[in-house]
Amino acid sequence: MSYEKEMMEKISRGETPEDRLDINLLKYMWDASPLSFKESYHDFFKKVSIINSFSDNEIRLFTKFLHRREFLPNEVIFKQGDSGHGFYFVFSGAVNIFANYQIQNEDQGDFILRLEKYQYFGEMGLLEEFNRRSATIVAAENTVLLGMFKPDLDQMLEIYPVLGAKFLKETALVMANRMGQLTREIVSLKKRLKEAEMKG
Amino acid sequence: MKKNQKIKLYLFFSFLIATVVFGILFPRLTLPFGFAYIVYLIAKPFTLRLTTGNRKQRIIYSALLTIASCFIIFPLVASLYNMGGDFSIISERLPEVQKILQDKFFAFKVSVFERFGIRINMDPVTLVMTRLELMGAQFLEEIPTYISSVLEWILLVPLFLYFFFRESNRFSSWIMESIPNPIFEKTYVLFSQFNTKFGEYIMAKFIEATILGTLVTIGLLIIGFPYPFILGFVAGITNILPYIGPLIGFIPAFFIAILANDPKVTMLSMIMVYTLANLIDMVLVFPLLVSKIVNLHPIVVVVSIIIGSQLGGIVGMIIIIPFIAFFKILFREVYQDLSVHL
Repeated sequence: MSYEKEMMEKISRGETPEDRLDINLLKYMWDASPLSFKESYHDFFKKVSIINSFSDNEIRLFTKFLHRREFLPNEVIFKQGDSGHGFYFVFSGAVNIFANYQIQNEDQGDFILRLEKYQYFGEMGLLEEFNRRSATIVAAENTVLLGMFKPDLDQMLEIYPVLGAKFLKETALVMANRMGQLTREIVSLKKRLKEAEMKG
Repeated sequence: MKKNQKIKLYLFFSFLIATVVFGILFPRLTLPFGFAYIVYLIAKPFTLRLTTGNRKQRIIYSALLTIASCFIIFPLVASLYNMGGDFSIISERLPEVQKILQDKFFAFKVSVFERFGIRINMDPVTLVMTRLELMGAQFLEEIPTYISSVLEWILLVPLFLYFFFRESNRFSSWIMESIPNPIFEKTYVLFSQFNTKFGEYIMAKFIEATILGTLVTIGLLIIGFPYPFILGFVAGITNILPYIGPLIGFIPAFFIAILANDPKVTMLSMIMVYTLANLIDMVLVFPLLVSKIVNLHPIVVVVSIIIGSQLGGIVGMIIIIPFIAFFKILFREVYQDLSVHL
């Protein structure tokens, strides 16, 4: 629901909109306006695939539940096997994903993928009750992440259930796509294995 | 881990230790602060619904605080005002009570001697009464101190509560920012779980106490036992302590039944009322309301209560349970992480 629509509904219910200036809202709107040079959370999320269907007001409300975390190059964000509780968006910088990463002997293990600005990771940690991280994520450069954690999702569902459900639906779609991709990869690998066995 | 990350981590833990030390050194500040925090945790889910999307938060918080203060302050002042008078009446009546108890004990000694030929030489009644008299005198002496600390709490608790309602988001985001990256995710989730469990536990215990208090009051009213409202209130309050609470709540009724020379007041019916109320609590109320929140083994609960009473008296006995439930989650998290990484 847009901010204007929310206000119109308030007026139609007979409630008087607040006549006091909401500085935080003004600041947010200024940052989100084309006149502002600073990249705001609003501009950022308009380019993030799972959030770009949200209205301006929904993005404004969504950003209230996020935590900004800054990481130095080569700083570990989380390790493979750690209990996972959060979902991260790459706001600036980039991260590398590794399997079998060893921190003690600085063996980087197997490099899997590099995620850059507007990409996200860790959605399983937000949805599963006892999640274990399946890979190690390391900051590739000076990186800013926006994280959402289980308590934030619970609070969002409590306060803004429609927004929470919309976010959950988008996250579930991402996971469904990944599952589909994984299934296709397994099928293709099995096929290749069969072919190799027949040749051998 | 890089050097500046290590420094951040050391600074964070030093800050935590310093906060704990400050809390121990200044209990007059820490206790009302902790109490206000508990009230805030209990009230948080309701205020969240009331204030969502509403810009008149200051008015709502002020109204809530005024209502809460009326409910808390009035009974406190009224009970403290009356308590002095009640204690003087009790002190005046103590010799009478002592005589009745000594007569009963003498009759018991005689019957033991007649039946078994054993002579009982001790005099526990005088011992207990002297101790009670001493405690009463001590309490009367300390009433001004209690009143001054109650007044201090009346001033501090609403102040802290208002601070929690108004500034908790800003304050918690400041704390969150200061948590170093390597421990952020776990600390934040565990802290949130602790807050939720603690608030839910205290709220559930108060609902349980109210239900039990009401059941005892109704039961005592039906059998025509004296002081049903006060005894129901005592049973409810003491029920907040798990396992030993119901026993403590039963003691006043037991003494009233012994002392009353009224044929209507029967010990058996009174015991039945207390047993029935506690059975309903154990079978229905506790499993539905409380046990799911803490999920602890009964032996762990009893040991925790003993430790809690040693550390912080009655308050310690009440609040130790959610702390142990939290440590259980913390231990599980740390243990699972160690088993994965070692």
